[in-house]
Amino acid sequence: MTIAHYLTGTMLTPAVAAVLIALFCRQRPKLAIALSVGAAAAICAFTALAVIKADGETYRASMEWLTIGDLTIELGFLFDGTSAAMLAMVALVGFLIHVFSIGYMKDDTSPARFFGGLSIFMCAMLGIVLADNLIMIFLFWELVGFSSYMLIGHYLTKPEAAAAAKKAFIVNRIGDLGFVVGIVYAYWNFGTVNLTEMAAVLEVNPDLISTTIAALLMCGFIGKSAQFPLHVWLPDAMAGPTPASALIHAATMVAAGGYFLIRITYLFPQSVLTFILWLGVGLALYAGICAYAQKDIKRVLAYSTLSQLGYVSAAFGLGFSSLALFHLITHAFFKALLFLCAGSVIHGCHHEQNMYRMGGLLKRMPITSITFFIGILALVGVYGLSGYYSKDAILIAGGFVSPAAMVLLTFGAFLTAGYMGRLYWIAFLGEPKSDNAAKAHEGSWTMTLPLIVLAILSIIGGKIGLWPEQLTGYIGAGLDNLAAMDGYDALYNNILIWGTLAWVLGLAGSFFFYGKGAKTDRLEEKARPLYHFIEGRLWFDEVYDYYVAKIQQRFAEVLAFLDVFVLKGLILRGSAGVVGVLGIFSRRLHDGNLHGFVYWFLAGTLIALALALGWLNFS
Amino acid sequence: MTVGIHAFIFLASALFAIGLLGVLLRRNTLIVYMSLELMLNAINLALIAFSRYNNTMDGNLLVFFIITVAAAEVAVGLAIIVALYRRRQTVMIEELNALRA
Repeated sequence: MTIAHYLTGTMLTPAVAAVLIALFCRQRPKLAIALSVGAAAAICAFTALAVIKADGETYRASMEWLTIGDLTIELGFLFDGTSAAMLAMVALVGFLIHVFSIGYMKDDTSPARFFGGLSIFMCAMLGIVLADNLIMIFLFWELVGFSSYMLIGHYLTKPEAAAAAKKAFIVNRIGDLGFVVGIVYAYWNFGTVNLTEMAAVLEVNPDLISTTIAALLMCGFIGKSAQFPLHVWLPDAMAGPTPASALIHAATMVAAGGYFLIRITYLFPQSVLTFILWLGVGLALYAGICAYAQKDIKRVLAYSTLSQLGYVSAAFGLGFSSLALFHLITHAFFKALLFLCAGSVIHGCHHEQNMYRMGGLLKRMPITSITFFIGILALVGVYGLSGYYSKDAILIAGGFVSPAAMVLLTFGAFLTAGYMGRLYWIAFLGEPKSDNAAKAHEGSWTMTLPLIVLAILSIIGGKIGLWPEQLTGYIGAGLDNLAAMDGYDALYNNILIWGTLAWVLGLAGSFFFYGKGAKTDRLEEKARPLYHFIEGRLWFDEVYDYYVAKIQQRFAEVLAFLDVFVLKGLILRGSAGVVGVLGIFSRRLHDGNLHGFVYWFLAGTLIALALALGWLNFS
Repeated sequence: MTVGIHAFIFLASALFAIGLLGVLLRRNTLIVYMSLELMLNAINLALIAFSRYNNTMDGNLLVFFIITVAAAEVAVGLAIIVALYRRRQTVMIEELNALRA
């Protein structure tokens, strides 16, 4: 067994499971669950084997898939430090979420469809992680988009779920258009789309680096990772089942955009990096503020995800892609934990999602509440937890490269602590505010065990030393580079103080401002216009709706008019009409009378004679 | 007394004209067919007359070909007319208008 076998195994097992579920298990939910969870476990096993076998070495393998003229498209693996770390994260978090889903989807009407979707997603996600060229990344990129569509729209009968699925798919298409053009341009510019070969080409000839290519490929990232201005799909995507939100819209798929950038870091010139930095900083603050006016527990977490993705892209924009990967992975741990806890709460409260109708969950759902709090502490960056290591490293990097970004991101950390505190104090403390919350109960062990494991991961996930060297090589090297820079120690201490201050102030401030178990939103009462302004989220959706309904639709109507009247009516019908009229006349000549034919024959002969004698001259 | 070339040309033209008018005006396919043959023979006559007038054999040769081909044509043509009659029970042109558009 070679590494290629193991890696193929990771991708093939969920694909086979998905096919089997689609073909045979639609009416056998138990079998479907067993297949899907089994496949997720197999992915973990294969991943472990591949990591052990590769032992920190970079492994490359590819095979020809199809050849069109000079263009050869290949399928292949590029298994290096980056992909090993990402693969391990996806396998581990994916498996835990699969286990959680067993309990969560117990009462669902079609769990087979859900688990089939999860398996398709796992296969596609691993494809992105392992792919060694842009075209292969794009293929699996679209497949994760499809599975995301399928899982967001899982509750078929809910119109908002269907609309959200459609929105996610269409918004992603906009970004992917740039991605496709970028791939074509990259092939034209570098003569290859293989990641390793492109790096080699750029090493020989650094002048080939192109702002346009980087900007176009960035479009794909903007769509998939829900960055400005295509972030609108992510909050709506919360209409899907919570485990799917945890897996796809928090831990892995939205992270795939950032991971894609990290894979092609060497293509990015400074100008695009700076753009991505401010894009990320802007999103981190914007989403952090938006979260204050959300009452749906999942939507608060969705904005938190957006905000953390802003940190990831800021880290990338600062030029520290290893830190981006680090934050991506720690974020996957604690955000998956937070989402699964939210799922546990929603499950326990009979699908109540409004946090002002919860309250008192700490007594009724202790495991969920405590793990959720651990997730919050990891997210806000409490010293020693996973979020601290990755977020503070980003802030320190910001201090070296762009102090303004550092200040804004530290303020973002304060915002994060504030809205997470608001969520926790209101939903988990105090007294129950609805019957559903009063009857809340902890789920079965399949639901609580993943929470505990993820809570442990959220605590220790950031301690590089605890993980095998094969997984953390890339991230560790990035951290060592950072630590070796001049003035690191002073900056480290500063960031430690300010970062700690940010979360302490945020959590404490929200506790005193909102109060535990509050029934109404104090911000909404005290500063109604401000609350409504935040609730409006800068009216991105409204602007897009206006654009689609009033501008694009009008334009489409003009085109439709041109099509129906000019193209169809005048040109097609018109030319057919002319020929038809000619036909009516020329048909008169064919009256079936032999004498008539003879006259035509005579006329023709005379014309031929006239031509031969030169009486008629057409030339 | 020698018959001049003019007489031959006149006779040939007259025969051709009679044949042409027959083709154009008569309604019986058989008669039309006979008129066609008349036109052919008018041409033959003209060819022989010119050939004799010029003291060459070109025209005569051509006439042999025409007669041969005409014989074959008659065989086919008459057979078609007979087959037509057996199928349609008529050979009158105005009734044979199946090609009307």
